[in-house]
Amino acid sequence: MGFITEGFQKGFHLIFSGDAEIYSIAKLSLYVSLFATGISVLIGVPLGSLIALKKFPFKSIVITLVNTGMGLPPVVVGLFVMLFLSRSGPLSFLGWLYTPAGMILAQVIIATPVVAGLSLSAMQTLDPKFRMQILSLGANELQATLVCLGEIRLSILAAVIAGFGSIISEVGAVMIVGGNMRGQTRVLTTATVMETHMGNFDAAIALGLILLSLTFLVNLALTFIQQRKAERK
Amino acid sequence: MIRIKDLNFTAASGFTLSIGELSVREGEVLAIIGPNGAGKTSLLNVLALFLKADSGRLELFGGDAGAAGALALRRAMSFVFSRPYLVNDTVYNNIRLPLKLRGIRDTGQIAGMLELFKITELKDRGARELSQGERHRVALARAFVTGPKLVLLDEPFSSLDARARDSITRDLRGIIKSANTTVVLVTQDHSEALVLSDSMAVMKDGRILQRGAPREIFARPVSKEVADFVGVETILAGEIAGKSGSLCSIKVGDTLLEAVSEYNEGDSVLVCVRPEAVTVSKTGESGSMRNHFKARVVSIEPWRLEYKIGLDCGFDLLSFVTAQSVEGLGLKVNDELFASFKAAAVHLIKRQGPK
Repeated sequence: MGFITEGFQKGFHLIFSGDAEIYSIAKLSLYVSLFATGISVLIGVPLGSLIALKKFPFKSIVITLVNTGMGLPPVVVGLFVMLFLSRSGPLSFLGWLYTPAGMILAQVIIATPVVAGLSLSAMQTLDPKFRMQILSLGANELQATLVCLGEIRLSILAAVIAGFGSIISEVGAVMIVGGNMRGQTRVLTTATVMETHMGNFDAAIALGLILLSLTFLVNLALTFIQQRKAERK
Repeated sequence: MIRIKDLNFTAASGFTLSIGELSVREGEVLAIIGPNGAGKTSLLNVLALFLKADSGRLELFGGDAGAAGALALRRAMSFVFSRPYLVNDTVYNNIRLPLKLRGIRDTGQIAGMLELFKITELKDRGARELSQGERHRVALARAFVTGPKLVLLDEPFSSLDARARDSITRDLRGIIKSANTTVVLVTQDHSEALVLSDSMAVMKDGRILQRGAPREIFARPVSKEVADFVGVETILAGEIAGKSGSLCSIKVGDTLLEAVSEYNEGDSVLVCVRPEAVTVSKTGESGSMRNHFKARVVSIEPWRLEYKIGLDCGFDLLSFVTAQSVEGLGLKVNDELFASFKAAAVHLIKRQGPK
């Protein structure tokens, strides 16, 4: 029990002493996950909306695929992204293996189905006549979709929160694609795993605490925006 | 404004909308009435270009609707659904939305709309803070703000209480007439249709059964289906037994009725008598009424502010009687009295096929 308490003490000391390496790891974590969340939202929200609004053959199979994608194992995603980016892979020309760009790609693949799936189900909760009403007021297809998205903005924010949550704490994909290289691709999750394996529990606890704090702060900001919108409803 | 010719549409459910001919002139208010599943809303959806006809021709604003772009046509009209679908924003922004969607920056007309629909004091209120009646007023103001050439109303007041409905209907009538807007109104409410419309169409099973002036349709339905729907409760099978000028004697069972009609002796007819046309009295005085029968009261049921009296005159007859008259006459079931109605109040529908 003593080593845990000691670990926490040293962890807090590391955080508050302004350890440059720990802060650069935290910064990279936040950068990779926020960037990946942003791209996932740009792809996932329109994709989910399109699937929800349009009629096309095999729609239910496509929805099943999106829902399956919401539970993609990060390790498997990491493996395939690594294979595609590797020297003999089809995307080797990008040169993204063991770079933050590769890690972002892996996280986009994990978060996009989460954002798309939740956006899709949110859009499906909207009465189809609402969209007809907006079209009848003179909206074109894009305008009508944007007005509909405005109506389900709280659910879309929930999708963003879920998308961010699915990648900020993910370790498998970033470990495989990024390689946990010091000063280049080391992020909070991979660093925590490494420090734990090395028995540096104080550093691992410090990294874990930072990860928890960052997740809390980002979610706090998103929830604050969401609840302000809810109050205005 | 609207011309439909031989238009057919079959839904995935198998329901078929089949409109032989329908035209609505500029500034006309057409009410479409009919039972549930008659195809009224499908017709509106065809007009709003949400449904594409399988065959036939639809002309809107003088041109072929198929040739023009749906967006351009929709921007010349407005559609108000039975549920007022407001966006989650203020009343002002809801009314501004159609202007914003068209890229119109001049919002000068919004104040006028707020005033016309008596919602000026609500302009900063959120859509979800409004009562149902207020929401309907906002939806209507939003529909009229762009000065549309055509407004489609799909049972727009069905969820309102009678007081709110009457109030909005009265205001809407004035607004439609002052703006000379063409309106197609789908409704199940006969009084709403009578107040708002210049002409009326009765639909059933995807077809228009009758088109004409509202009072003409209520007084002179062309078929039993229409008569049933417009509230003619006494429909009797009979045969014209004699004719003198335009006055016919119709044999209904063992009783002879008199009616004014162009049909000929021997014609098999349905005799329609509206309950409002039948008066009852305890004395045998008929006044100028040619149809005067001894009757027995078989039922007394409250009906809105009046009573619906079921009578046995040798044939079944219904009469609306005011509450004061029921009390004054001391009416009870099995009472004997007299029922009278004018020959001109009897409408005949010629029956086809075997007698």
